[in-house]
Amino acid sequence: MNIVFFEEASFTIAFIIYIVAALGFFVYLAGGKEKADKIAVYASLAGFIVHTAAMILRVIESGRLPFSNQFEFASSFTWGIVLIFLIIQFYYKFSSLGAFVMPLAFLMMGYASMLSKDIKPLMPALQSRWLSIHVGSAVISYGSFAVACGLAIMYLLNRKNMDKADSKLPDAEAYDYLSYRIIAFGFLMLTIVIVTGAIWAKYAWSRYWAWDPKETWSLITWLIYSVYLHLRFNRGWKGKPAALFAVIGFVCVIFTFVGVNILLPGLHSYN
Amino acid sequence: MLKRITNFLTSLKFGIILFIIIAVYSIIGTVIPQGMDLQFYLNQYHTFGSLMVFLQFDRVYSSVIYLAIVLVFVINLVGCTLKILPVQLKKMKDYIPTKGKNNENLYENWMDIEDIKSGFTKKGFKVIDTEDGSYAVKHRIGHVGSSVTHLGIVIIILGALIGNMFVKEGYITLAPGEIYEFNEYGFTFKLDDFYLDLREDGSVEQYYSELTVYEDEKEPRSETIWVNNPLNINGMYFYQSNYGWASKMQITCAEGHVHQESIFKENPHVFYDKESLTVLLYGYYPDFSMDIHGNPITLSQNVRNPAYAVVLYNEEGYVNSYIVRPGQPIEYKDIEIKFVDSVLYTGLTYRQDFGYYPVMIGSIILTLGILLSFYFYPKYILISQDEIIPVTRQNVWGFTIKIKRMLKELNKVRGNNQ
Repeated sequence: MNIVFFEEASFTIAFIIYIVAALGFFVYLAGGKEKADKIAVYASLAGFIVHTAAMILRVIESGRLPFSNQFEFASSFTWGIVLIFLIIQFYYKFSSLGAFVMPLAFLMMGYASMLSKDIKPLMPALQSRWLSIHVGSAVISYGSFAVACGLAIMYLLNRKNMDKADSKLPDAEAYDYLSYRIIAFGFLMLTIVIVTGAIWAKYAWSRYWAWDPKETWSLITWLIYSVYLHLRFNRGWKGKPAALFAVIGFVCVIFTFVGVNILLPGLHSYN
Repeated sequence: MLKRITNFLTSLKFGIILFIIIAVYSIIGTVIPQGMDLQFYLNQYHTFGSLMVFLQFDRVYSSVIYLAIVLVFVINLVGCTLKILPVQLKKMKDYIPTKGKNNENLYENWMDIEDIKSGFTKKGFKVIDTEDGSYAVKHRIGHVGSSVTHLGIVIIILGALIGNMFVKEGYITLAPGEIYEFNEYGFTFKLDDFYLDLREDGSVEQYYSELTVYEDEKEPRSETIWVNNPLNINGMYFYQSNYGWASKMQITCAEGHVHQESIFKENPHVFYDKESLTVLLYGYYPDFSMDIHGNPITLSQNVRNPAYAVVLYNEEGYVNSYIVRPGQPIEYKDIEIKFVDSVLYTGLTYRQDFGYYPVMIGSIILTLGILLSFYFYPKYILISQDEIIPVTRQNVWGFTIKIKRMLKELNKVRGNNQ
C-alpha cells in the first residue's frame, strides 16, 4: 500500500460520508429529530476532514497544489463548497441548510470520481506561481456561489413555510440576507479570479484578455451576479426573483466549469 | 424630452439592460467560431451565414457593434456615477441615518450607555454626540464604494480600448545562430541556443530559448525565455510560444558542387528552378517509426533514429516519395537531393501592449471598490438613553448579529469586573 492507495481510499470515504450527511439532512427535514441534523452537520465535518486528508496526500504525491486537471479542479471545487457551508453553519448555526448544499457537494464529488485521477506533471503553461492564487480563489468563489444556490433552492421550495413558528428552516429574512452576503463574497473572489487570470495570461500567453471561452464565460458569470447585486441593493429585489437569479448565476458557474471544457475548447483546456 | 432621454441613458435600468446585452452578445462569440473566412459561414450556416457575417458575428469582440455597446455602457456608467457621487460625498461628511422598520433596538435594562459607548470606541467606532443623543459610526468611506467600483471599470474599458489601438505584435522563428533585427525599436538579438527539457516519459517539461540582446549604446546581455517567463525589452514582451525542426537541404550535381542550399522551417516546399522541381518535406522524424497504417511517425523528440519523408513533384505532377536518412542522397536526373541535418528552432510571439497598465490600475480600483461596497460599508449605531439601534443600508441583518455579539461580549467583561 502506498500513498496513492490511501489518497484514493480517503477520497472514496469522503464521498460516502458526504452522501450520508446529505441523507441525514433529508431525514431531519422529512420529520426526523434534531439529532439527525446535528449528526449530519458533524458527518459533513468528518467528510471534510477526510477529504482534506485526501487532498494533502495528493499534494505530497505530486509535490504541488491539486489545481491542474479537471479531476483536481472538481475535487477542490467540492472541498470549497463544503468549506463555505461549514463556515456558515458554525457561524450562523442554521438548521437544515445542509440539505440543500450537501447534494451539490456530492454531485460535484461524483463528477470528480468519474474523471481520470492520474497525476501528470504540470505542462509548461501551468508552471507559474499564479496557478495557486488563480485557481485557489476560483475554488472559494465557486464554493460560495454553490452555497448561495443551495440557499436559493431552499427558499424557492419552502418560502411559504419559512416564517411559520414550527418551521425547521431559517426565517425568510435571514435566508435573504445570508444568500446576498455569500454572493457578494463569491463576487469579490470571482473578481480576483479574473484579475489574477489576466495577469497570468499576460505572462504566459502574451494577451491579458483573449476572449477565450472560459474567460468570456467567467465574464458573463460576473455580469449576471453584478446584475443580481445591483437589483438586490438598489431596487430592494428580494425573495423569489433574487433567488431565481442566484440559481441562474450558479448554472453559469457550472457551465463555465464543466460545459466550456466539453463544448467550447480553448486555451483553458487542461485534461 | 432631452432631459428624459439623458435620464434614461444614465439610469440603472438602462445599465442593467446593457449588462444583459453585453452578456448575450458575448455568448454568441463563444458559440460561433470566430475569425474564419466568409465561405466557412456560408457552408456552415447556409442562408443565415451572410446575415451572420453582416452582423459581424464572425468577429464579435472586435466588431463595431460590440464597440458601440461598450461605449454606450461607459456613458451610462459615467452618467450613473456622476448622478450619485455628490450625494455619496455629502453622506461621507455628515450623514446620520434614521431608523427604519428593519432596524432592531438592542437595548436591554442592564446596559450602561456610557460603558457601551466606550466599548464601541474600542471596536473602532467613532462615537459622536448630537442634540438628540449620540451615534457611533464606522467605515464612512464606504459611501463611495459603488463610485470607486465604477471608476475602476471605466479605467479598465478605456485602457483596453486605447491600448488595443497601439498594440504591436508578431511572430518570429529563429534557429540557433540566427539574428533578428528590430531596428524600429533599437535592438537586435541572436538566438544562441534553443532546447527542450524532456521528462522520462518523453513529454516536455519546459522550452528554453537562450538569446543575446544587443541594444543601442548598451553592453550585449544574455537572456533566457521560457513559458511563463517572457523577456521584456522596453515594454516589448517576447514569449516562448512554439518550436519545430529546421532542416537543411542541399541540391548537388554529380560532381558534388552545391547548387542550392535551403532551410525548411515552416514552409514545407522548396522550388528548384533549373529542373522545375518542387521538393516537399512531408516531415522530419527524429525518432522515426511507422504506425499500423504505414504512416511515418516520431516516437519522441529525441534524435535517436532520424529520418525525412520527402515528396518530389515536377511539371507533370507527382514523381515519387522517399524516406531518407540524414545525408542519404535522393537521385533525380543528374542531381542529388539530400537532407544534411536538422536543428530545433524556436517560435517566439512578441507583443507590446501598454493598455495592460491602465487595465491593472483599473482592476485594483475595482477590487477596492467592491471591498468598500461589501465589507467597509458605512455602519451606524444610533444611541440614546434606552436605544441601541444598528443601522446600515447594506446588511442590516449581519450587522445586527455582529452588534448583538459585541454587546454580549461587553456584558461578559462587565460581569468579570464586578
